[in-house]
Amino acid sequence: MGSLSSSMWIAAEALGADQGAIDATSNNIANQNTPGYTREVPVLTEADPTVEGNITYGDGVVLQQIESIRDQVLQIQIADQTQQQSSAQAQYNALQQVQTPFSDPTQGIGADFTAFFNSISQLSTDPTNMTDRQAVLSAAQTLASDFNSTEQNLDSIQSGLNQSVVQNVTQINTLTQQIAQINVQVGDMQKLVQDPGSLGDQETQLIQQLSQLTNVNEVQTENGLTLTTGNGTPLVVGDQSFALQTTAGPSGMTDISSQGKDITSSLQGGQLGGNLQVRDTVIPGLLSQLDNLASQFATSFNAAQASGYDLNGKAGQALFSDTTGAGAASNLTVAIADPSLIAASSDPTSGSGSNGNVANLLAVQNQALPSGESPMDAYANLVSQTGTLTDQAQAEVTASTASLNQLNDQLGSVSGVNIDEETTNLMNYQRAYEAAARVVTTVDELTQSVLDMGSGVTAAP
Amino acid sequence: MQELATGQRVNVPSDDPAAAAADVQNQAFQSQTDQYLQNTSSLESMLQNADSVLSSVVTSLNQAISLGVQGANGTLSSADQQTIAQQIQSIQSQIVQLANSSYQGSYIFGGTETQSAPYALDSAKPDGVTYSGNTGVNSVEIAPGQSMKVNLPGSQIFQGAGGDVMGSLQQLITALQSGNSTSIGTATNQVTTALNYVSEQRVFYGSAVDQLNANQSSLQQEQVNLQTQQNNLVGANMATVATDLSQAQTEQSATLAALAQIIPQSLLSYLK
Repeated sequence: MGSLSSSMWIAAEALGADQGAIDATSNNIANQNTPGYTREVPVLTEADPTVEGNITYGDGVVLQQIESIRDQVLQIQIADQTQQQSSAQAQYNALQQVQTPFSDPTQGIGADFTAFFNSISQLSTDPTNMTDRQAVLSAAQTLASDFNSTEQNLDSIQSGLNQSVVQNVTQINTLTQQIAQINVQVGDMQKLVQDPGSLGDQETQLIQQLSQLTNVNEVQTENGLTLTTGNGTPLVVGDQSFALQTTAGPSGMTDISSQGKDITSSLQGGQLGGNLQVRDTVIPGLLSQLDNLASQFATSFNAAQASGYDLNGKAGQALFSDTTGAGAASNLTVAIADPSLIAASSDPTSGSGSNGNVANLLAVQNQALPSGESPMDAYANLVSQTGTLTDQAQAEVTASTASLNQLNDQLGSVSGVNIDEETTNLMNYQRAYEAAARVVTTVDELTQSVLDMGSGVTAAP
Repeated sequence: MQELATGQRVNVPSDDPAAAAADVQNQAFQSQTDQYLQNTSSLESMLQNADSVLSSVVTSLNQAISLGVQGANGTLSSADQQTIAQQIQSIQSQIVQLANSSYQGSYIFGGTETQSAPYALDSAKPDGVTYSGNTGVNSVEIAPGQSMKVNLPGSQIFQGAGGDVMGSLQQLITALQSGNSTSIGTATNQVTTALNYVSEQRVFYGSAVDQLNANQSSLQQEQVNLQTQQNNLVGANMATVATDLSQAQTEQSATLAALAQIIPQSLLSYLK
């Protein structure tokens, strides 16, 4: 049978539950601008009822727990999109630098090719003119030094990226260490069906930061999360983090290994993946094309020189140093300093004013090199490649940023704090609290009435 | 903004990779066309120079012919004939000097042997001269894939099979010195043949100059075409860009105004 004192207890519990709910709401409002904060919702349930005979009395309300509103799937999607976006951004940043030496069509290797062949064409109108001959040598010099500086430019962008890679690895190691520390506590709480609350928020934040650096796979286990790289190299297992190591590789670039195994080529996504992609694939590809162009052009032009005679009536010597292989472009130099050694003539007589070999020299401009392209086409191809790569990276940055923003909006609507909603809740809980307090007052008055029943004093109206 | 500032739609290759690559080629063609124009004008001066030299040769030969006709007149004394022979000799050395003309330090009638004078007087030779040049001919590219011959060797102009300037002058001198009127007449006819032949050779230079003039016009036209093409490739349409910019500005201020409206709104504004 119900009693005044049980009514009082029900009201008292209701006061406690509403107080807890107001706490949760207050915490939400307080954290409305906290990054990574997940909205918390009080979970109110009915208390176990009391059964007496045929009557079941409700026993009020219980605040069961305060639950963080998370969407695990959405968070994984965000992590995935974050690593794509960061990777694209890192590539775009690097590629913008890469395309710079190829940007101005009136300067650089392309313009130098034309200026060089123009100087030879000029020489054909007056083959013994020393000023014109000197101009050919100067144009050759400019061409060679622009080959050198373009390659050195790409080299220095590559070593810049290498430094970023090393920094990225350090950042990853710091983050995995922090995650491992939190991970155990979160796991323990989850085992007890407790809400990890702010610890969970922290861990999520750290994982998002990690995703900016590299592609991370998350697997939920009994002992908390297991984090691995895209290809399954462990980063965090339970309370243990596995640091990545950096070692100088044979090419001067830093290799990344985990537990003694080189995993450089398998790392993808995030800033690290983006930096590695440009460092190890894009730039080496461009460098090798540049080297091929330099060495094939030099060989081809030297052959044309050899088919003619210089001003002294001697067979033409190589104008360019013979370079091959990696670094050919940065090693390209002009091998002769005497302008009379340009083999414009097809006549082995000393001092000949023949320009019979100029046609052979000029033909190098439009003949296909062993690569299948003329020097100018090969260079234009490099321009178009750097442009296309940069353009693609830019498009990917735009697309992945838009998609990431959309996902973050979605997460915001699930996990974020909505002030209107919180204000409404606050008013509801306030009213509920006031109502419960009124119940306490009412029951108190009733109790007074009961006590007064014996003394004959009538309760005050 | 960048487009407006530079007037270029393509400022870096990534703005339009295909256009950037085509622009590289376009710039190369423009620069080559400039060079062809420069070749054309250098050659034109040289060829005009050669043409005017040959015109002087023609004048000298005309003098020689009239002197020859005078010399063939049987009434002349031997002393007069000797005087005429000396006049022809001076014409001969004049023509040798003309044949040794140079342009910017290079001899223009020595074939490709341009560094030493091709002709020297040499009375021991039947032609009265030695030719130390060669028969080489230089060609210069004046437009893509189009070359033209830019010289004729002296041996062809002055000692050709169709008319031998040097040989006929020497014969005239010999005939005048010997005083044989018939030989003088024959030699004078040969000088006339040589004159006609030199005039024919001169046509080469005249038409080469015409060809260069025509080439210059077509190269200038090509230059305009290439510039138009370049503008289409990478130039910005200023009107469109400016309109886009002002549209973007309008949109931005509209967005800012809307934001200013939205931010302060919340349930709390309506609660007392």
